[in-house]
Amino acid sequence: MAREESVLEAMVEAIDTLTEDFDVIDFLHRLSGRCAELLDVTEVGIVIADQYGVLRTIAASSERTRLLELFALQHEQGPCVDCYRSGAARMDIDLTSPEATASFGNFAERAREAGFVTAHALPMRLRNQTVGAMALFHTRASSLAPADARVAQALADVATIAILQQRTLTQTSQEKAQLQHALNSRIAIEQAKGVLAERWNINLDEAFDVLRSYARPRHVRITEVAQQVVAGSLSARDLRA
Amino acid sequence: MVASSGMAALLHGLRNPTDASLLIGGDPDACAAVLGVDGAAVSVASDGRQSELVWYSPGVSARFDDLQFTLGEGPGVDALSTGSLVLEHDLTRVEPSRWAVLLPEAAALGVAAVFCFPLRIGAVRVGALTLQRAVPGPMADAAMEDALVLAAALTSVVLDGGARPGVLEEQDAGLHRAVVHQAGGMISVQAEVPVAQALVLLRAYAYRHDRSVMAVAEDVVARRLRFRDGGMGRDPSADVRG
Repeated sequence: MAREESVLEAMVEAIDTLTEDFDVIDFLHRLSGRCAELLDVTEVGIVIADQYGVLRTIAASSERTRLLELFALQHEQGPCVDCYRSGAARMDIDLTSPEATASFGNFAERAREAGFVTAHALPMRLRNQTVGAMALFHTRASSLAPADARVAQALADVATIAILQQRTLTQTSQEKAQLQHALNSRIAIEQAKGVLAERWNINLDEAFDVLRSYARPRHVRITEVAQQVVAGSLSARDLRA
Repeated sequence: MVASSGMAALLHGLRNPTDASLLIGGDPDACAAVLGVDGAAVSVASDGRQSELVWYSPGVSARFDDLQFTLGEGPGVDALSTGSLVLEHDLTRVEPSRWAVLLPEAAALGVAAVFCFPLRIGAVRVGALTLQRAVPGPMADAAMEDALVLAAALTSVVLDGGARPGVLEEQDAGLHRAVVHQAGGMISVQAEVPVAQALVLLRAYAYRHDRSVMAVAEDVVARRLRFRDGGMGRDPSADVRG
């Protein structure tokens, strides 16, 4: 398939999803995966600011705990923080260069340990405000062509729109509240992952898969499944069925 | 997305009540003034239902919350059950059947606009904050940001089972880290308590051992620390491994 067609398909898929009562966390998870595929980068993550102005991970192309922790490490330092504060994209960051990563604290070291060599960060903008950032990580040295950078920015914009489209909040067009709602959805999933990991003695990555595998064929949101797991209204046996 | 200086100054008071018998300190009226509303009230939940009014501006706000509790319907009840914000800046424009009994009573009380914020952290819901105003009209953007910060701070205080002077705001911010919630879920299974209480055990343990909540949570997730017997009252001892 031609590149343009793949991009177009990703956009159409996004628009289709947004017209329904969609699952924002699952959507962002898939969008991150798509983005990684289209731009031929290793991993993609999305962070948004909480009510304290601190960046929180909301989704990533892979739910591997180590990757999520790496994104989370950017709450104070890292490419996403710079990008969020300045509102400008930061492309082709060489994670092996002490000069390029001087302001990143121990983030650069941890990223290198995880095998990443290059990073890009794109702002998630809402009118004249930046609400978060999308980060692209690569395990080899590479630069993003201008056309690829535009695709990445378009996908970051779609992610922003998705967060602001959550139907559960139709009563408010209040954007900050919608960001909070999305972050709470993410936290509910983390709580449920903890419950399942302990109950079945599995790891947290597997716990996410359990939630997702249960939710998708039943067309319910992962967040709702998480809510039920935490409330104890969904039994272990139901989940494994 | 940070609090105004006016709100920031008030947040400190929440954890430092002048009367030790109060669950939440601070001044609801002063918070209401910063938010551009006439009154504020917090009711806490048990078993997912609105159960007790614990912090309120005297007068209309208290009576409006009592009404919701008595009637079992209203924006605060909805905010609690759905976990979403309920913002109605003009009650005369609300579909009458939505809160059939409450709406005429609210009008009689002189409440024209209500803004309800669930006090929640992930899947855990501990109560609702209800703001009301006699004059209709939406909240300003800056006031909305302040209200979200206030709701987060109130959530943290209620979750702890009350004001605890000395708990820093850093601890509140720690409540938004993934690892803290993964640990909360794990502890709830280990100690056989709800996740809300598991978060309290985690924070209390960190406080007693003078460690950060994050560091303790990391130990739990790495299965180096297990909580057991988290029942009410007694010291929730934990086993340290390896």
